[in-house]
Amino acid sequence: MLRTEHLTKSYGSTVAIDDLSVDIPSGRVGLVGANGAGKTTLFRLLLGLARPTAGSVEVGGRSVAEDPVGIRARIGYMPEHDCLPLDQSAADVVATLGELAGIPARAARQRASDMLDLVGLDEARFRPVGTFSTGMRQRTKLAQALVADPEVVLLDEPTSGLDPSGRDEMLDLVARLGADEMSVVMSTHVLADVQRACDHVVMLDAGRLVVAGGTADLLDTTGTILVEVDARADELMAALTARGLACTMSGSRVEVTAPDADAGLDAIRDEVSELGLPLNTLATRLTSLDEVFVHRTPR
Amino acid sequence: MSDPVSAPTSAGAGRVYDRGYRRYDGPRGGRRAAVQALFLGSIRRALGLRRSWKQKVLPWLLLAVTAAPAAVFVGVAYVTRNTPAAEVEFITYRDYVGISTALLLFVAATAPDLICPERRQRVLPLIFSRPLTGGDYVLAKAGAVFAVVFAFGFLPQVLLFVGQMLVSDAALAYLRENAEILWQAPLSVAILATYLALLGTAIASLASRRMVAAAAFLGLVLVSSTVSAVLLGSSSQGLGALVNVMGIPLFVRDLVFLGHIGDDTPLGGVSSGGVLAVACYLAVTGACVIILLARYRWAER
Repeated sequence: MLRTEHLTKSYGSTVAIDDLSVDIPSGRVGLVGANGAGKTTLFRLLLGLARPTAGSVEVGGRSVAEDPVGIRARIGYMPEHDCLPLDQSAADVVATLGELAGIPARAARQRASDMLDLVGLDEARFRPVGTFSTGMRQRTKLAQALVADPEVVLLDEPTSGLDPSGRDEMLDLVARLGADEMSVVMSTHVLADVQRACDHVVMLDAGRLVVAGGTADLLDTTGTILVEVDARADELMAALTARGLACTMSGSRVEVTAPDADAGLDAIRDEVSELGLPLNTLATRLTSLDEVFVHRTPR
Repeated sequence: MSDPVSAPTSAGAGRVYDRGYRRYDGPRGGRRAAVQALFLGSIRRALGLRRSWKQKVLPWLLLAVTAAPAAVFVGVAYVTRNTPAAEVEFITYRDYVGISTALLLFVAATAPDLICPERRQRVLPLIFSRPLTGGDYVLAKAGAVFAVVFAFGFLPQVLLFVGQMLVSDAALAYLRENAEILWQAPLSVAILATYLALLGTAIASLASRRMVAAAAFLGLVLVSSTVSAVLLGSSSQGLGALVNVMGIPLFVRDLVFLGHIGDDTPLGGVSSGGVLAVACYLAVTGACVIILLARYRWAER
């Protein structure tokens, strides 16, 4: 659905996106990274609102550089920051933005009503946006992103500012939208949100691709065993290396690559026992995307 | 897809209800439809439509102010139609193009209202995520100001013309004798409206606050007219007249109505005054277009 090839975007000496090549499939995709990782810049590049310094961007097989206006007709966008006209009602804001996407005025008003109903603002839709809470503004932003029924919707930190129950409901809605024919790309720095709502994940760090793939695939790290001991991890690593196992160490954590998981687990158990180490974790599978991110991010 | 799904877990404003997403399979316009929607939305805003009554007061009051002289002149013409005073022409169509400062006040209030909040409240990323370019945005916004100023400037002319025609002894004869007004008046008003719309929106695009933009616009008008007066000094005519930004479109108006700069204007009698006036008009409007396009080029930066 979305593809970048050696995409680079620089602002002066600051490189926001650095040689990024990634294929983002249809469905529910989480774009993950810390603040400043390049998530919003990537959205702007996908929308054709920023020009790449190098490389290319495609949406649905069409080059964004060649037809940015046409691409924008197919994409819905929910910015992270406050961006709503405060003196207009939510119904007017969403309907107007629907019209700007090319929907006839009457249909746009009907769609606005439907979308505000969908996001839970049916009763408040005639109130000025300036009187809304942060959570209600987030919902209005989501409604305007959906009003033109886009093929792809880009949500920049959609759960930002929501209380826990609002966050749950927003994630449920995102998951449901992506289950329909619409593709949803949700940026966030909360990995648990992605793990819960998305089928695919793209992790960025300082503008570079950390890893991309199916959420389930990334959590299933077959052939890798993680060992965490409370002390003397270096001795464990040396012992396992002496047994012919490939190891890397990060703090108190040792990552062992073992073609035969059972044999690898036996070897680790024996060494931990012989060295008398306080075992904290022994796992063949990463349990959260946080672990995947930590595991994959270069140090 | 459109089937209703799980009910909300709890009630109350601000909750996200997943009641099912419905696809849209109706007609879609492209870029032209988007520009038209922005243009019409801006006109509605300028006229205070779909806004509180307070927002409606200013535009309609100003329309009344611009139309009032025409109504008065027609009324006077009616009352004096059978007296020697009927031969007196109280105001010409040429004079009427530049008579009302209400248009100035309207542009000073409206152009910032259409431009500044969208920049200040960071609405532009939402607008430019639609199938629009920076140039489209400029066209829609400046076009909306132009359309309303033109309407407010031209409607009183229509009122004046129709009123004078009906009050005159022979309506058809009046129409025949003043047929040239039918193109001179709208063209002159269009020249003035284009100038005011571009100047007003260009200045507004440089400010985030409406008050600052309005003050800058009126300040430019006042300062330039003062400087012009100083430059002209005791002589009532000279090149210094071109420093007055609000004088420039009125000199061009003279070319439309008279074919030359009016002798009763500060530029009257100046050699090549007409050419200079047109050059200044094009320079100011061209500079405004450049400023506007540069300000909204960021959309594709």
